[in-house]
Amino acid sequence: MSSFIKKDILVFWRDRKEILMALLLPIILIVILNFAFSGLFKDDEEAIHIDIALLVADDEKVGKEQFEHAVKETELSPTEKEKVLDEAANLNPVGLIHDFLINPEIQDWITIKEISEQEATKQVNNGDLDAIIRIPEGFTYEVLSVVLLDERPNHIPVNILAKDPSTEVGALQDIVHNFVHSLNVQFALGSTGETVYAEPVLPQGGREVVEGIDTYSISQYFTIAISTLFALFLAQTVALKTVTEKRERVVNRILLTNSNPINFLLGKTVSTFILVCIQMVITFTAVQLLLSVFPGKTLEFWVGLVVIMIAFSLTVAGLSSLFTSIVLHLSDSNTASGLFTLIIMGLGVLGGSFFPLEGLPNVFQKIGEWTPNGLTQTTAIKWIQFSDMSDLFFPLTVLTAISIVCFAISMSIFPNRGRI
Amino acid sequence: MLETVKLSKSFKGKKVVDEINIYLDAGESVGLLGPNGAGKSTTISMISSLIRPTSGDIKLDGKSTIKDPSEIRKVLGVVPQEIALYEELTAYENLKFFGQTYQVKKDILEGRIQEVLEMVGLKERQKELIKTFSGGMKRRINIAAALLHQPKILILDEPTVGIDPQSRNHILETVRELNKTSGTTVLYTSHYMEEVEQLCKRVYIMDRGKIIASGSKEELLSILSTEDTIQVQLSNRSESLIDTIKSFSNVFQLDETNVGLRIISKKNSNLLSKLVLASEKEGIQIVNYQVEIPSLEDVFLHLTGKTLRD
Ligand SMILES: Nc1ncnc2c1ncn2[C@@H]1O[C@H](COP(=O)(O)OP(=O)(O)OP(=O)(O)O)[C@@H](O)[C@H]1O
Ligand SMILES: [Mg+2]
Repeated sequence: MSSFIKKDILVFWRDRKEILMALLLPIILIVILNFAFSGLFKDDEEAIHIDIALLVADDEKVGKEQFEHAVKETELSPTEKEKVLDEAANLNPVGLIHDFLINPEIQDWITIKEISEQEATKQVNNGDLDAIIRIPEGFTYEVLSVVLLDERPNHIPVNILAKDPSTEVGALQDIVHNFVHSLNVQFALGSTGETVYAEPVLPQGGREVVEGIDTYSISQYFTIAISTLFALFLAQTVALKTVTEKRERVVNRILLTNSNPINFLLGKTVSTFILVCIQMVITFTAVQLLLSVFPGKTLEFWVGLVVIMIAFSLTVAGLSSLFTSIVLHLSDSNTASGLFTLIIMGLGVLGGSFFPLEGLPNVFQKIGEWTPNGLTQTTAIKWIQFSDMSDLFFPLTVLTAISIVCFAISMSIFPNRGRI
Repeated sequence: MLETVKLSKSFKGKKVVDEINIYLDAGESVGLLGPNGAGKSTTISMISSLIRPTSGDIKLDGKSTIKDPSEIRKVLGVVPQEIALYEELTAYENLKFFGQTYQVKKDILEGRIQEVLEMVGLKERQKELIKTFSGGMKRRINIAAALLHQPKILILDEPTVGIDPQSRNHILETVRELNKTSGTTVLYTSHYMEEVEQLCKRVYIMDRGKIIASGSKEELLSILSTEDTIQVQLSNRSESLIDTIKSFSNVFQLDETNVGLRIISKKNSNLLSKLVLASEKEGIQIVNYQVEIPSLEDVFLHLTGKTLRD
C-alpha cells in the first residue's frame, strides 16, 4: 500500500500547477478576503460608537420632597407609609440611569458628554453629537410614584433627542427602553430597592460580548471556511488523477498485477489525507504568521483545532476514495469532474464555506451543519469561542463515521475488472 | 498451456471477436496477425482478464480462468498497445511502483529493475521522467514494466507501432532473447508481417473477429496457391529451348522478362532436372534458377482480399 501512497503523492507533487493551486490559493484568498472584509467590519464597529449628552432637567431633591408629600396624602397605614418612604430614600432613579450609561460594557460604544442643553442641541444639529438623552423634570417623582405607589405614569419618563433616526439612535432607544422596562419589572416583582443591575441588552449587528467567552472574528471564519473548501477540492484533484491513470491504462496494468483493490483505494485515501494535512498546516501557519488570525491562543486551543482538522481530513480522504471509485465507473472524465465540482460547490454553499449560514432560514442551517465542511466549521468556531472539550466528541464521531461510510461504499463499488 | 475455447465478445450486439480457438504451448512463440479493428486487442484483453468474454472460455493448464483470474494474472506479462505508465514519474519510479504492485520481493526488486532496464537498453536514462521520453523509449519501458515479475507467458499488443527502426530492432531482439534463453512463451500481436515472420514459429491470422487461417509459416504459405513462380536466367537466349520448356507437362505459363524467363508451374513439380537436361542439349547454361517465395502478406491478400495495412 505504501507504494500506492508514494506514487499518488509523487504524481501530485510533480504537477506544479496543482501544488500552487492547492497550497497557495487558499492562503492568498484568505489574506485578500481578510483585508477586504476586515475594513468593512472595522467601519461597522466605529459606526456603532455613539456620542451622547445626558441632560438632567430633574431636581432629585425636589422630586423626593414631592413624593414624600404625596405619600402623606395617601390612605396607607402609618407603618406602610414609613416603609414606602424608607424605600424611596434608597432609590435614586437618575443615578441608576447614569450608572447604567457608564457601565464599562456600554462605555465601549457610548461616550457621555456632560454639557449644557444649549451646547448639546447645537452639537446634535451639526453632527458632533448623535443624541441627547434628556431626563425630564419630575422624573424622580414620576418613577417613585410608578414603582412604589403603583400609579400609572403620566408621560414617558426619558426622552431621546436626535437629529435623524439612525440605527445608532434606534439602538440607543432599545437600550434605554430595555433599561426602564427592567427597572419596572424589578420593582413590580417586589425588589426592595437594593442595587439594581440591569443587564445591558445590546442591539443586533454589533459584536456580541458575553463575559468569559471569546468571540470569533471574520478572519477566523475565512480561515476555516476557505481551508475546508480547498481541502474538499483536493479530494477531487486526487480522484481525478484516476482519470489520467485510466486513460493512460495504468489502472489496467495495476489490475493485472493482481493487487487488492483496497490498496489502490487506500493509496488514494491515505495520500489525500496526508496532502490535506499538509495543506492545512501550511495554510494555518501562513495565515497565522501573516495575519495572526488566532492571537494569544493557548496550546490547548491549537491541539483542539488540530484534532478537528484531522477528523475533517479523514472525511475528505473518504470522499476522495468514493470519488475515485466513481471515476472508475464513469466512461467520461468530464462527467466525473463536473459531478464532483457540483458536489463540492453544493457542500460549500450548504456548509457555509462561501458565506455564514446565520442569515439563512433554520432548515438550511440544520442541513448545512450536517455537511462535513459545515460541521467542521461550526465545531471549529465553537471551539474558538468556548474551547469546551465536550463539544468535540459528537462532531468528531460524525466526521469519522462519514469517512468510514464513504470508504466502505467506494470499496463495494470498486470495479474488479478494467474496461477497454 | 493456454487456450481459448470459442472465445467471443460482443459490444452492443456487435460481434467483435467471434468464437476463436487459439492455443499456446509452453515455450512457443506465436503471432497474432490482423488488420486494424480485427479484434486483436479485444482478444488479448479477454485472455489477460481485463474484460469478460461474452461467451467461451480461457483455460490455463486446463483450468478456466474466467471466474478467478488471479492465477493467470500471476503468470502473464502484458504489454498493452497503449503506453501504460505514469508520465510524471521517472522510468525507475514507474518500474519500482509496478514491481511493488506485482509483489516482487523487496530484496530482488532492485536487481530486477536494473535487469529489465538493461534488456530494453535504457539503464542510463532511468532517472528521467517518462514524459520526456521519445515514443520508442516509452514503448521499451512499457515492455520492461511487464517483465519485472518474470512472467511465464508474455503477451505483446503491437509493441512496435509508430517507432524508430532502432527501438524496433531492440524490441524484437529483446522478445527473441526472452523466448530463446528464458523459455518465455510469447504471443505477439502485430500488423507487421515481417516481424511475425521473424519472431514466430506459428501464426494466427485474424480478420473481422474470426481466425481465418493458422499454422506454421510454411503451412500458411502453402494454402496460398497451387503454383510456383520460377525465375530462370540463361546464358543465351534460345527460341527452341523456350518451346521445349513450354511443352513440359507441369508448366502453365512462360514469359520472357528482361533478365530471363518467368515460369509458372504446378507446385513442387521439380522442373530443375528437366530444365538442366534440355538446356544441356542446346549447349546453354543456367545462370540462375530461383523459386520465388510468396510472403504472408500475399497469403493475407489471398484470404481477405485486402492488405494488412490500409
Ligand atoms: N469498448 C468497446 N466498445 C465498443 N466497441 C469496441 C470496444 N472496444 C473495441 N471495440 C471495437 O471492436 C473492434 C475490434 O477492436 P480491437 O481494438 O480489438 O482491434 P485490433 O485488432 O486491436 O485493432 P488495432 O490493430 O487497430 O489495434 C473495433 O471495431 C472496435 O471499434
Ligand atoms: Mg489493437
